[in-house]
Amino acid sequence: MSQPTFETAVRTHGVNMFFGEGESRVTALKQADFEARRGELIMLVGPSGCGKTTLLSVIAGTLTPQAGTVEVFGQRLDGLGQEDLTTFRRKNLGFVFQSFNLIPTLTSLENVTVPLLIQGVSQREAEERARIVFEKVGLKGREDSRPNSLSGGQQQRVAIARALVHEPPLLICDEPTSALDKDTGAQIMEMIRTLSRAPNRCVVVVTHDQRIFRFADRIAEMEDGRIRRVVDDPRQLDTTHL
Amino acid sequence: MNRLALNMLFGDRAKLAMLLCGLAFSALLMAQQTSVFFGIMSWTYTPIYNIRSTIWVSDPMVEQANDAKPMRDTELGKVRSVDGVSWAAPLHMSILQARMTDGNFKLITMVGIDADTFAGAPAQLSQGRIEELRLPNTVIIDEWGAQLMGRTVVGPDGKTKTVPLKPGDTFEINDIEARIVGICKVRRAFTGGPFVYTTYDRAKAYNLDARRTLSFMLVEPRDGVSAAQLCERIERETELKAWTTDTVIWDWSDRSLAKNTFWWFWKNTGIPFSFGTAVALGLFVGIAISGQTFYSFVLENLKYFAAIKAMGAGMATIARMLLVQALTAGLIGFGLGAGMAQAIGRVMIEKGMPPFVMFPQIFWATLVLVLGISLVSAIIGIIKVSRVDAASVFRG
Repeated sequence: MSQPTFETAVRTHGVNMFFGEGESRVTALKQADFEARRGELIMLVGPSGCGKTTLLSVIAGTLTPQAGTVEVFGQRLDGLGQEDLTTFRRKNLGFVFQSFNLIPTLTSLENVTVPLLIQGVSQREAEERARIVFEKVGLKGREDSRPNSLSGGQQQRVAIARALVHEPPLLICDEPTSALDKDTGAQIMEMIRTLSRAPNRCVVVVTHDQRIFRFADRIAEMEDGRIRRVVDDPRQLDTTHL
Repeated sequence: MNRLALNMLFGDRAKLAMLLCGLAFSALLMAQQTSVFFGIMSWTYTPIYNIRSTIWVSDPMVEQANDAKPMRDTELGKVRSVDGVSWAAPLHMSILQARMTDGNFKLITMVGIDADTFAGAPAQLSQGRIEELRLPNTVIIDEWGAQLMGRTVVGPDGKTKTVPLKPGDTFEINDIEARIVGICKVRRAFTGGPFVYTTYDRAKAYNLDARRTLSFMLVEPRDGVSAAQLCERIERETELKAWTTDTVIWDWSDRSLAKNTFWWFWKNTGIPFSFGTAVALGLFVGIAISGQTFYSFVLENLKYFAAIKAMGAGMATIARMLLVQALTAGLIGFGLGAGMAQAIGRVMIEKGMPPFVMFPQIFWATLVLVLGISLVSAIIGIIKVSRVDAASVFRG
């Protein structure tokens, strides 16, 4: 297993994000400074409402902050229009969602082809490439299964295959193990950590699940819309409030 | 993405079935009701089909083919003297009551044709010969009339059945005997009464020698003279009204008697309104059911569309997916509905009631409307998906 490099993959600086106006205004991020490196798996942790998901959305380019800079693999996202952000996501991001978000009326293989088809790859090539990734995540033989006929762990593997099939540099994982049991969650995290070791890849994981903290190279702890501290060892965290 | 969109659509069979039911029902209602409407409206100018002639001449006050305003017989001479007329024959048309041998009365459309030329005679006789109309008190009746005016008998099994009239059978018109010498095949009329053909002079007798019995004159132009030209000359020289008899209803001339008959019924009856209501109902039901079902399909898939958006699909891609889904459902629904309309139409044509005419234009118009319904459904879905924030995928 290769070691993480220390080149910056993701950097946010002074990011402010609020929702609503007037009295109903809610501040989600306050001067949030965050950095993730190439080849590492970094976790964003913190209590509910601390801004983890908002920061993840900003990094993913699905939310545009009101202030601050966001840079992903050298590309400034702040100031980009919706169309450019969409193109950026298409090329550079892979997503693993909490509830998998696999389309139930499609086969598992068809689900994995989605990012490639969005990129305009032909159906045949998309299926060929999806089969290769399918094998990598250990699901060979289940290509034609519908997501609902798979276990939670298998569904998350399909979701990981979907996130990786177009070989994006940045993998965004939102609570990837919250719907899984301990052992399955550990297997999934082991897989994600292995994937993060590619030199031009970075994995950002938002989680509440303390059982998987040990898979992180670093852990960024959030509180009240900003990064409170970043630790290398999960034992350094005070987990009582998480 | 199109194939993926279709797989999403066909993967949800319950929703698809509901969607197709709505679209098919809508297509069926629109195609079937419009075809019956045009069938009924085509019956309004049945006399022009059954009594074939290039030009019809009538009293100037006549507005449509069922509206005979009798003229004096001397008008025939005037028309014959117009330059360009090859021949002109008298035609009598009236609604009379026929008394059957069992004492029952039936309304008939009496058609009196020229005994010398038989101009205006039915084109096809299934029994008998037209020349036999020259025998005293003879008539030719249409197949529908023979059935309608037939005798009711009780069979050996105790069930009643109707024995259709046949050559040799008789009935009475104004106490004058009418003996059937032939059965003809003609189109049925809007008025419902069967066509009973006889000679012009005998028709006058059946009308108790009314003073004016010349309903129309059938005119043929000489070679090299167009129908429109001759109509103008006849109108100019006789002050009568001259009509052409083209019945291709999508390409009517201003002089077409069929066109004027069609529009007379359109303006003066509630038929278009009632059928228009049914067609509009089909359209609205289609929009309501299909729109609602497709919308719920979109709602159910909203989080997946949000995920697809997050993964980098632009709204154009998602809009195309929704359009492919809606229009495919529209095409299938149209196929089912139009197919059912055709099947019902075939049964109707076999039974003869109600009339059913599915012009190709009805077929295409129904297709356009059903695809319109699908388009509306797709647009509703597109609006919904466009308002979904890609960031919502991270909110569980």
